[in-house]
Amino acid sequence: MLKKRLIPKFLLRDGRLVKYVRFFENERMAGNPVTTAKVYNDYGVDELIVLDIVPSAASRTRVIETIERMSEEIFMPFTVGGGVRAPEDVAALLRAGADKVSVNSEAVRRPEFVREAARIFGDQCITVSIDYKKVSARHSNVFIDGGRERMPLDPAEWALRCQDLHCGEILLGSIDRDGTMDGYDLDMINSVAGKLGVPLIVSGGCGSLQHAIDALEAGASAVAISSMFLFTDHSPIKLRSHLASRGLNVRAGAGSRN
Amino acid sequence: MSHVAIVDYGINNVRSVRNAVDYCGFEPLITGDPAAIGDASHVILPGVGAFGDAMNNLRSRGLDGVLEQKVREKGKPLLAICLGMQLLARSSEEHAEDGVPHKGLGWLDADVQRIRPNDPDLKIPHMGWNTVTKEREHPVLAGIRPGNLAFYFVHSFAMHCNEAGDVVGTADYGQPITSIVARDNVVATQFHPEKSQDSGIELLGNFLRWNP
Repeated sequence: MLKKRLIPKFLLRDGRLVKYVRFFENERMAGNPVTTAKVYNDYGVDELIVLDIVPSAASRTRVIETIERMSEEIFMPFTVGGGVRAPEDVAALLRAGADKVSVNSEAVRRPEFVREAARIFGDQCITVSIDYKKVSARHSNVFIDGGRERMPLDPAEWALRCQDLHCGEILLGSIDRDGTMDGYDLDMINSVAGKLGVPLIVSGGCGSLQHAIDALEAGASAVAISSMFLFTDHSPIKLRSHLASRGLNVRAGAGSRN
Repeated sequence: MSHVAIVDYGINNVRSVRNAVDYCGFEPLITGDPAAIGDASHVILPGVGAFGDAMNNLRSRGLDGVLEQKVREKGKPLLAICLGMQLLARSSEEHAEDGVPHKGLGWLDADVQRIRPNDPDLKIPHMGWNTVTKEREHPVLAGIRPGNLAFYFVHSFAMHCNEAGDVVGTADYGQPITSIVARDNVVATQFHPEKSQDSGIELLGNFLRWNP
């Protein structure tokens, strides 16, 4: 059967790997993305997500160079996004070696873009990335432009709408939990995963092996992980063998792949 | 050493395939030129996109005939990947208009149908890593340990073969998913070896060293 996926998420700013807490606080430089990707490749992670968080024409060029270099030596799926607004952006990233392209703000501003991109490039190529934040005790809203602009959208409803627009999967990230390592937003995962017919990748909050288990058991198809891999001694190898020992269906550990 | 032809028919992202061939120590050439395909030691038919568009592109470039001649008549080894594999079937219902399926190359007695899982927990596309169970031996699987037969899939349509002997490997996704098919000098994978890390590179290397 299909395996649960472990996906390191890279945030790039001017081509460098960075990490924040709750999107804006406590910026930390986290190294060279190509070098780090090679290490993760040796660990046998299942995919990589690479997001350009302050997109510009200049940063797009650097992202494309980064993906081109990664795809020379790393043979796993890459999802790439940040500032994707037009079919030409999707085409350029796919040409560079991306397998899937992540669309976020433009999907909210112009939902038909998701449908258009899915029709041109295939549903499976288009991932809709959704960032959301709690706005009251019971409600969350979708935020765009890297968490800067609040939109009057419920994240769960928006995810279902994106599925109707033919996206291939949803990357759902909690801004409140980003970088905190306090655990995923399990209430949200529980309420969304069962309704979605496309795979759900969850992001924001993973800080322990148990957090990943909780998210996958709540119905996520994949966990995106950033801080825990960058800043703790929980490597992808350790996480995977722990998940396997708890009966989750993940790929065999790197040690058995030699 | 002659080159490995990666068939360029206009709709593919073939960089990863080219890089993987290069990584295996062979000389990749992305080409739609019949002579270059004819001179190649091995041919790879990649595929990402929609079935109907892919067939139209192959036909409008005359590549269906080139493949027929070089691969089926002259016996050049072919690896078809993902949509490339599906093109070997007689037909596909992907985006079929008015219920009329698109015609494929028809090299295999097989049809391509949408994956329709009964279990609502099974998402479409079938996207991610799945274990492939060997239905029979094939040289492209030589040396890959059974525990490592996990490959990266991304597709919403799957091939159904009428000749059981064509099926080399299947995956389980609520239904058996035809994952590797082979006949004579042709082998094809529904998954992406060029995205399947060590196991995929091993399979690709086996293909590139295969002389059927």
